[in-house]
Amino acid sequence: MTRVGEVGLHEAHDGIEPISPELMATPLDFFFAEHFRHRQLCALIDRLSTTTFFDPGPIAEVVDFLRFEAPIHIIDEEEDLFPLLRRRCLPEDDVEGVLGVLSAEHKTDAILGRGVRDYLEHCLDTRAAPGANMDGRRDLAAFAAQERRHLALENAVVLPIARQRLTPEDLTGLARRLAARRGMAPGETGG
Amino acid sequence: MIAELFDRNLRWAAGRARVDPEYFRRLASQQGPEYLWIGCSDSRVPANEIVGLDPGELFVHRNVANLAPPQDANFLSVLQFAVEILKVRHIIVCGHYGCGGVRAAVSGERHGLIDHWLQPVSCLCRRDAAELRGILDFDARVNLVCERNVLAQVASLADNPFVRDAWDRGQPLSIHGWIYSIQDGLLRDLETTIENVEGRGGASPKAPRGRARRSRAG
Repeated sequence: MTRVGEVGLHEAHDGIEPISPELMATPLDFFFAEHFRHRQLCALIDRLSTTTFFDPGPIAEVVDFLRFEAPIHIIDEEEDLFPLLRRRCLPEDDVEGVLGVLSAEHKTDAILGRGVRDYLEHCLDTRAAPGANMDGRRDLAAFAAQERRHLALENAVVLPIARQRLTPEDLTGLARRLAARRGMAPGETGG
Repeated sequence: MIAELFDRNLRWAAGRARVDPEYFRRLASQQGPEYLWIGCSDSRVPANEIVGLDPGELFVHRNVANLAPPQDANFLSVLQFAVEILKVRHIIVCGHYGCGGVRAAVSGERHGLIDHWLQPVSCLCRRDAAELRGILDFDARVNLVCERNVLAQVASLADNPFVRDAWDRGQPLSIHGWIYSIQDGLLRDLETTIENVEGRGGASPKAPRGRARRSRAG
């Protein structure tokens, strides 16, 4: 038997949009779109943190995103975009201060994200509503809040500097590696 | 455990022979690699596999932190043989992010004998100390030193007498600096390619800021 509230959540659940592989051909647009998807993740987590009934679909969606997509995005930044920026930026860009903060936050994200994933996997195993547990609710909310701050800084500072400083060759190389990291050989992205 | 390795070897050799019956006879008859690879000993950075080359196509020297020390007889023997006998056309110094040797040097902690081997990396850290202190995240600091270390080894190679003699003879020989990520299996070109004596000035071990250097390696 379905309760009214369950249907309500399911209808309200927009989920995380898939990203078009073609977007990787313009890597900074791809990063921006990825950040948008991370915001969708935060919205989904916020909804889960307030729901008191069990709906496995959105829970599994968050678990999968944290397991497969979020770690690749951190590699995209930590071992590709950020090192490129360190090589290209001018001293007056003062990029190191921001990159240092973001790198530290990536570590925090990974730890908080692991906690969120473990909690949601437990919810799936026990068919529990994520919002029913006080500690769980707090962890979900903490992750979403931290992630939103992090995304705001990246969009406001990192991407604009990258648009200014990265060369066309940098962007071409970045595009190829973004695709390869996702299992696509050159020419398979349509870009 | 060891017997398993022999079993794997049998399967590997049989597989090769099945696909190409003359493969090993051809390989045994000559060695003509175009590339000398100077990489790290880390077991997760297998030179041939990363660049998709078969045995015989890559002459390999590996040590902790992918150094090219001008006092190391082992390394110098490899370099001389590669340049003067094999006449490789490209020398690739390939570091990797998260390198344990570099991490040890950046940490400044004492680890025993390896500290002596890693002295060139420690010197880099001291030289760039002010800049490195500005990088709050330790792993990011290690990764930057991994890159700088590659550039330093490329610069050192460009000053090596075997390399300079080759250029003086008009022998085509390029030195490249790359970095590899164990996390995604991908190489990045550090844009420090040197192709002749005149190019040596471009191999500053300190990475350029805000100046895009072009490499032919793509």
